[in-house]
Amino acid sequence: MGEEGQLISCHTVDAWNQHIRKDNNKLIVVDFAASWCGPCRVIAPFVAELAKKMPHVTFLKVDVDELKEIASDWGVEAMPTFLLLKDEKTVAKVVGAKKEELQQTIIKHSGSTSG
Amino acid sequence: MAISGFEGFEKRLELQFSSRDPVIGIGLRKLDFKSLEQVLHQVQCTVVSALGNQHFDSYVLSESSLFVYPNKIIIKTCGTTQLLKSVQPFINHARTLNLRIVALRYTRGSFIFPQAQPHPHTSFHEEVIYLEDNLPEHLCYRKASVIPSNFTSHSWHMFSAGLVEYPDDVPYTVEVCMTELDQTLARKFFRRPYDGKNGDSAGREMTELTGINRINPNSHICDFAFDPCGYSMNGIDSDRYSTIHVTPEHGFSYASFECVGSVYNADIADMVKKAVKVFCPGSVSVATTNASDDICVRIKGAVEQIGMKCRSWSMDEFPAAGTVVFQTFTTRRNIRT
Repeated sequence: MGEEGQLISCHTVDAWNQHIRKDNNKLIVVDFAASWCGPCRVIAPFVAELAKKMPHVTFLKVDVDELKEIASDWGVEAMPTFLLLKDEKTVAKVVGAKKEELQQTIIKHSGSTSG
Repeated sequence: MAISGFEGFEKRLELQFSSRDPVIGIGLRKLDFKSLEQVLHQVQCTVVSALGNQHFDSYVLSESSLFVYPNKIIIKTCGTTQLLKSVQPFINHARTLNLRIVALRYTRGSFIFPQAQPHPHTSFHEEVIYLEDNLPEHLCYRKASVIPSNFTSHSWHMFSAGLVEYPDDVPYTVEVCMTELDQTLARKFFRRPYDGKNGDSAGREMTELTGINRINPNSHICDFAFDPCGYSMNGIDSDRYSTIHVTPEHGFSYASFECVGSVYNADIADMVKKAVKVFCPGSVSVATTNASDDICVRIKGAVEQIGMKCRSWSMDEFPAAGTVVFQTFTTRRNIRT
């Protein structure tokens, strides 16, 4: 596929829809971030590392300015916000650049102990 | 009181900048993380958690908090951090973004363990000398003052410097310091062994169990629980921050609550009351900067409502910062000398 182990940036609503509707039973982690937000920069390298270490999880990145409506639809008010989705539903949310919490929450919902 | 222990009382620094460009844009928020880390390294603290919104960035540090607005930096650190060493680096980094410092304000209460403080925090006199030496000359309106209370062990120290004499129509700040915390309540800020949690989730649990999340239900909270004890949180609500830090150990227990207010929110006194109730301390001090008399009176009333008695009310005027009112309270039975 070539996308595994990478953080996939969604730049359009179509790309967003395409990725979250993929029916492959994978946990989807969405990183809602903004270019002007310092805390997003703090955790960005860590998220890229997680994506590499957990190819069985899909990592998506959404810029809240680029896809304003999607950020608003999914209730994003502070950044970074990480949503964990399964079957287009939110199973967990981590608000803030919280490394340990993010890692442990992903492991909990991805049904694996790796990471 | 213990002979030695962790110093909860913070040192707080606020730096205001203006842009040489016509539009400031995101200003200081453009500072990359590496630069921020470099400054924090000089102060001996690190970023533990962070959260931002469209108005500003907030960081929970290993020894308190940092807030970065486009035109303002607020950094508050406890323990034996050398906070004033961040002044020059911040001014230099801001210069690379075409930003010029226009005002500075440094405040702190009285240290519980003053002998443990390193240079330049060995005395207020030393701190003022350091600031005078490190500030650019164009900040020509300057004042240093120690505002007393009824207790010699508890004063409010402030240094302010500015380009102009009077502050703009800026929000006021409220800095609350609490000591002799109720022991049962303070125990909630100790980690339970083998709780299966990390610092983030343990922090979240403390926020909810103690009712800190109800002080301002509108704010997004970024919290963290330290091991084996201690807690910090930053709350962000539109362009206003609030922050709480707790040193729960008996003998030198301490908690602080700080928030920002403006004419648009009438709930500050209520927030202060709720924050004090989380800790039921033996003594409280409240320092407001640039707040109206009405706000100060309301805060006094709110703290008295929960059974404390106002022991002193002192004031002083500062260039570029405005009027500072310093009030102290103790429980009705607790009259310290």
